[in-house]
Amino acid sequence: MTRYALGPIAALVLWELIARGLAGSFVLAPPSAIAVYLVENFGLIARALGVTLGNAAAGFVIGNCAAIALAACAIVWPRSDAAIRGAALLVFCLPLVATGPILRVVFGPGPWPQIVLAALAVYYTTLIPLLVGLRAVPSDWLDLLRSYGRGRFSALLHVRAMAALPYLVAGLQIAAPAAFLGAMVGEFTGAERGMGVLTIRAMRGMNVEMTWTLAAVATAVAMLGYWGIGAIAARMLQEDPPVILAAPAALKGGGLGTAAMVAFLVVLVWDVGLRLLDLNTFFAKGPLDVFDALALAPDARDTWSILLRALGETAVFLVPGYFAGLVLGALIAMLIVLVPSVAGTAMPIAIALRSVPIITTAPLVVLLMGRGAAGTMVLVAIMVFFPTLIACLHGLRQAPSRVMDVMNSYAAGPLQQLMRVRIPAMLPAFFAAARMNVPASVLAVTVVEWLATGNGIGSTMALSASVSDYDLLWSAVVIVSLLCVVGYGVVGLVERRVLRVYAPEQLA
Amino acid sequence: MTQVSKLTRRSVLATGAAALGATTLGQPAWAQAKANLQLSWLHSTQFAGSYIALKRGYYEGLEVALQQGGPNAPVEPPVVSGTALIGISAADYTAAAVQEGAPFKILGVAMQNNPFAIASLAGNPVNEPADLVGKRIGMALTNTPVLQALCTLNGVDINAIEIVPTQYSPQPLVAGDVDCLLCWATDLPVAMTIQGVDNVTMLMADYGYAVHSQTYIATEDSLTNRRADILALMAGEVKGWGDYRADTDAATQLTLDMFPDAGLDADTQRLQAARQVPLMFSELTDANGFGWWTDDTVAANIETLGLLGRTVTADLWDRSILEEIHGA
Repeated sequence: MTRYALGPIAALVLWELIARGLAGSFVLAPPSAIAVYLVENFGLIARALGVTLGNAAAGFVIGNCAAIALAACAIVWPRSDAAIRGAALLVFCLPLVATGPILRVVFGPGPWPQIVLAALAVYYTTLIPLLVGLRAVPSDWLDLLRSYGRGRFSALLHVRAMAALPYLVAGLQIAAPAAFLGAMVGEFTGAERGMGVLTIRAMRGMNVEMTWTLAAVATAVAMLGYWGIGAIAARMLQEDPPVILAAPAALKGGGLGTAAMVAFLVVLVWDVGLRLLDLNTFFAKGPLDVFDALALAPDARDTWSILLRALGETAVFLVPGYFAGLVLGALIAMLIVLVPSVAGTAMPIAIALRSVPIITTAPLVVLLMGRGAAGTMVLVAIMVFFPTLIACLHGLRQAPSRVMDVMNSYAAGPLQQLMRVRIPAMLPAFFAAARMNVPASVLAVTVVEWLATGNGIGSTMALSASVSDYDLLWSAVVIVSLLCVVGYGVVGLVERRVLRVYAPEQLA
Repeated sequence: MTQVSKLTRRSVLATGAAALGATTLGQPAWAQAKANLQLSWLHSTQFAGSYIALKRGYYEGLEVALQQGGPNAPVEPPVVSGTALIGISAADYTAAAVQEGAPFKILGVAMQNNPFAIASLAGNPVNEPADLVGKRIGMALTNTPVLQALCTLNGVDINAIEIVPTQYSPQPLVAGDVDCLLCWATDLPVAMTIQGVDNVTMLMADYGYAVHSQTYIATEDSLTNRRADILALMAGEVKGWGDYRADTDAATQLTLDMFPDAGLDADTQRLQAARQVPLMFSELTDANGFGWWTDDTVAANIETLGLLGRTVTADLWDRSILEEIHGA
């Protein structure tokens, strides 16, 4: 236990020293000042926490239930798989700048916009690992079930659900800080109270103690959520991961056909949805409006040039940040498996990085990395890093103990075990992380650009909303979503090539 | 505008009664009409006049709810959709929305002088636009047209200023990343003063930047069909802001009492409330009443808005509500 405590204590001391060193620049408060502020303003923070936590919890439950239902539907009815993945991806791509005001108009005052944004922040990162987990089943188990004359539904209930549990846990653990952050950002749409409201106030008032107290409380809550889910899961997940020896899967055809069908469905839902909600066309633009703005309107060329320039600026930060976050997440996960005591320091920091709102961390990152591209890249990498780390950690633990026993009996060292058993076992989870981080990193970069750096596509979207250029905003949303789909497809291609060798059951 | 001002007292009463009938449909006859006022930002003394009106019952015959704004809460959508009867906007945002097809009118101008300012540290001050040459200014890139307009109005070459995209916070200035900030005179400079950072504020309105701010906007449809409600709401605003001016400290105290969960700092709010007064009240409002404008101020606005790339005409402003309230 003392070994686990040493890291955090050292981190706290370091934090205190750095914060005191930076006292004149108003970017970081030391832990001692946070403690004092918390004691003096306990009522205020507690009330705000109650509001935000309630919304985050509601969003967490709704978002994850939706993910479970969608995943079950995709497995029981495989034809719907592509449509569900496609639609889920597109909905997750929708930027907060665009959805926030619409949710506020649809729901009016009250907590619903915050709850919906929290739910939107979590459902996708649960859905993708879950879809992997539901396929992480030895084919002979399914054959056995089939030989008893049972159908897909029984397979889901008796075999697949059990196999998917570790992946579901990974999804829920990633969701805990995401839900909290989603609820906080949801408060930017005009909520009366909560941690997000206080954060805006503290940042503008240059109240560093208040800013970092809010960040510390948000982190603590997210950490409790993460550990709580982990603890419940540890009691439930007693079973050893199965050895999966499956025949290589046949290649599926008709990719373009399904893509066209998904595109048609999305456009239909979009158009009909706006009509059903009876939203004013001044700010709620339909598919035809966007087509008009991008293809027919006299200023279509201007719109394209604005969008392309902004996208170019964004890509410079996004692509390196995405890969850095991915690689770092996988490496730290491996390090934690090799040297478990690292987890005591690494996990709190990882959770903190994910649960502290970007507007709080951005000034610190900018101070350390400068105001140029490096700062934004780091912020994107931070957002990608945490889901990758969690997914990979769970993936590494999917190494079957029977195979590990074989390794042990041949006296294979930890590094050998990692290279030959754990990393191959991790690959499905890693690629799930790589896929779900495509839209997540795009979302991250737009939020960073909107709230912190003020350039690129995120800033363009915020600007277009503030000057009521909703044609431009919706066009940007469509283009960004399409690019997400392309990025997702590219990662999927790489994944298929790799998993065909290491985890063919995923391609079935 | 001419058509609206030709309305007789009788027709106003008639449409007002029709609007009341429409809004109270399905409610008991004695129920008050309801209306939302969409604020442009988080609760603070920035809107204290409205809090006074609410607390002291100045919105006669109307049950008003004040909807808070925020970083991701543009004012225009709720007003266009009718969720809010009146919104707090600014002439530049309203002009942009009208260009995009929103049927808005400006009914009143709470901030006669635009609150945009250049804030700098006392040791390296920007006292006038010419001082901007060679300086690094921290601002959202989205505000580049604002800086461009200031430069054009004062013959300063914008290329001689280095624009650094920053988030809306005094921190980059205090940390020395930039030499000055483009911000509101009533928020970031106040925060610095409260934190003990000696700073200088140059109000852009003093250098020709004429854009009405904290303007009351409503749709043409509401102006016709809910005129009585709009009159009641605006009359309450006029009375509330009158009380505010008489005692900004009392207005601050009321704000703090009404929003204990908003994390408001008493000293910051008191200073902000006081600094807001010269932006909101002038010889013009002394002579004609709160929210007023003249053809001259509108002409100056149209010119500045033109520099910002917004083409508007004088009929964006509709003074008929204020004229009725102030009895002009």
